[in-house]
Amino acid sequence: MKAKNKKRYIIALIVAVIGLVLTACTYFATNIYSRDDVAVITDNVIKDRLIEKDKDVYNNVDQTREQTLHLKVLSGKYKGRTFTTKNVYYPSQMVSQKYRARQRIFVNIKKGDPAIVNPKRDWVLVLALTVTIALMIAIVGRHSFALIISMALSWLIFYLVIVLDVHMNGAHIILLFSLADIIFSFFGLLIDQGFNKKMLATWLATLLGVFISFGLCYLVMQLTGESEMKYETGDYATQDPRGIFLAQTLLGILGAVMDESTDIISSLYELVQTRKDITVNQLIKSGRTMGQEIMGPLINVLVLIFISGALPMTIIYLRDNNSLGSAFGFTLSLGATQSVISAIGIVLTVIFATGCSLLFLKNKKWKWGKKE
Amino acid sequence: MSTLTALIIVLAILMTIVGGETGIRSFFSVLINTMLLILVAILISWGISIPILILIFIPLKLVTIIFLGTHDYTVAKNSFYAAFLVCLIVSVLILGCQWLAQAAGMGPEAGEVLVGLSQMPGLSYPMIAVAVAIFSSLGAIAEAAVAMSSGLLEIKKHNPNISRMNLIASGNRIGSDVLGTAMNTILFGMFGSFLSLFLWYFRLNYSMGEVLNEKLFVNEALIIMYSLIGVLLTVPLSTIFLSRGMNKNGVKDGSK
Repeated sequence: MKAKNKKRYIIALIVAVIGLVLTACTYFATNIYSRDDVAVITDNVIKDRLIEKDKDVYNNVDQTREQTLHLKVLSGKYKGRTFTTKNVYYPSQMVSQKYRARQRIFVNIKKGDPAIVNPKRDWVLVLALTVTIALMIAIVGRHSFALIISMALSWLIFYLVIVLDVHMNGAHIILLFSLADIIFSFFGLLIDQGFNKKMLATWLATLLGVFISFGLCYLVMQLTGESEMKYETGDYATQDPRGIFLAQTLLGILGAVMDESTDIISSLYELVQTRKDITVNQLIKSGRTMGQEIMGPLINVLVLIFISGALPMTIIYLRDNNSLGSAFGFTLSLGATQSVISAIGIVLTVIFATGCSLLFLKNKKWKWGKKE
Repeated sequence: MSTLTALIIVLAILMTIVGGETGIRSFFSVLINTMLLILVAILISWGISIPILILIFIPLKLVTIIFLGTHDYTVAKNSFYAAFLVCLIVSVLILGCQWLAQAAGMGPEAGEVLVGLSQMPGLSYPMIAVAVAIFSSLGAIAEAAVAMSSGLLEIKKHNPNISRMNLIASGNRIGSDVLGTAMNTILFGMFGSFLSLFLWYFRLNYSMGEVLNEKLFVNEALIIMYSLIGVLLTVPLSTIFLSRGMNKNGVKDGSK
């Protein structure tokens, strides 16, 4: 056991070192970007000048400041040249950006005039990923490889689904994301558990949980005439916002339902294996108890994700003297609806997961009957 | 009746039928949790110091999630300590990463959405981004802490004389399941939350390099990783807390 742990820590350490090297490579990379050029701010201390103090109609007090930046371009046809440019920002940095000394940034140079696009952020992602994976290997051990592969595959499928959706121009979006859910859950569970009866039962429970709860919620939405569903408030709508909302719901619900089914069915499967005399009623009772324990925290996980994401927008609405009601309607109502639909999915999955685990029992009994 | 109200009523009924008393308590835990989050938004918009709000609301939200969601007091107490400590560690990590990434504020569409709204609110958006990241990962941390503690306590119940080393080994085994349970929930929750943003990147022909440096994408990917790191840290910390608490209880039992 100890030797195994030691090996695990060594692998984690190796991964960490490789990750740090990759982080450094990403930080210093200059020629891999197609659109913008990389530049570095050469000032050791940036000249930062107050232009004016502002007070807007809502009595918000802020400042307008201007940074004078000296840039050295590191890639593209202006490589090696230096520029001086100005950056105007507000210290609240809601829409503007303050830059730091010696920082690497992206610039877009048109006719010898550089426009700053973004700070270079990708290396922070590599760094965070390194920490996550190294920690995962150190704590979870061998199983983390399956988890990492499963996560990478999810991103890949997600990317393909988006390509397909854009290709189909948003038509049949519900059908597309339903199919996506079926594929996501199949591969996710296959990697996690391998192809066996338990995995198929989990898959069935997941699909029942997602689609029946989605159907139920769709029915409720139709019955209430989708009143006060402010689809137009959805951000970044590049196609029918109602379709996007439904697709987001189908995606958001899947992970929780999948994890919950896995949890309940794996435990009940263990139970059936260890206690061969277990009755249907006992099994249902165990499933229900497990479900009761798990559903509250799981719903909270999703609610926090869906609602927190809308907080920056809610805060600015409230700051500008909007009433709580209108701020809620504009920024939170879609997220809240999505949370409630997911919550309904999570609750219903308790029933389906328990129901699907009865399949093992019946099959087993039937097999024993044959043997006898 | 609005659709949201109708859905909430359906949820309340289902939670009562399926969950019984625990279900009703969970329903209120979710409700209070949501209201606390909206309260945070209101207080921040009033200009109250965000770090202080974060420090006050982390324990408040953990209490709502953990104590209302579980009925075993030992499990709840142990999970609360572990989750609180993990939240503090993750907060430090978030502060560092957000400082490096500078990914606060509104995304590329902001100009369009913000017409008529103040662009200079006099609030620190970098700090708001930290708050959002902490509260997004807090749910997953609390869930993991509860799952870890109840799993370990179950083992302890069946095997009262288990040594600390064995308990830690069992903890790592449970931890692998707990991580599996949290991972898809977090990942797909985020996919579901940001699908429109991804479609936007794609339709506007963002290149890979641009997406990986874009504020909102970086922010979202970082939140997924903070949550995973939080869940991972919960595994050893819950085990340590539980084995410590156990030893104390052991002494008590012995003196009885």
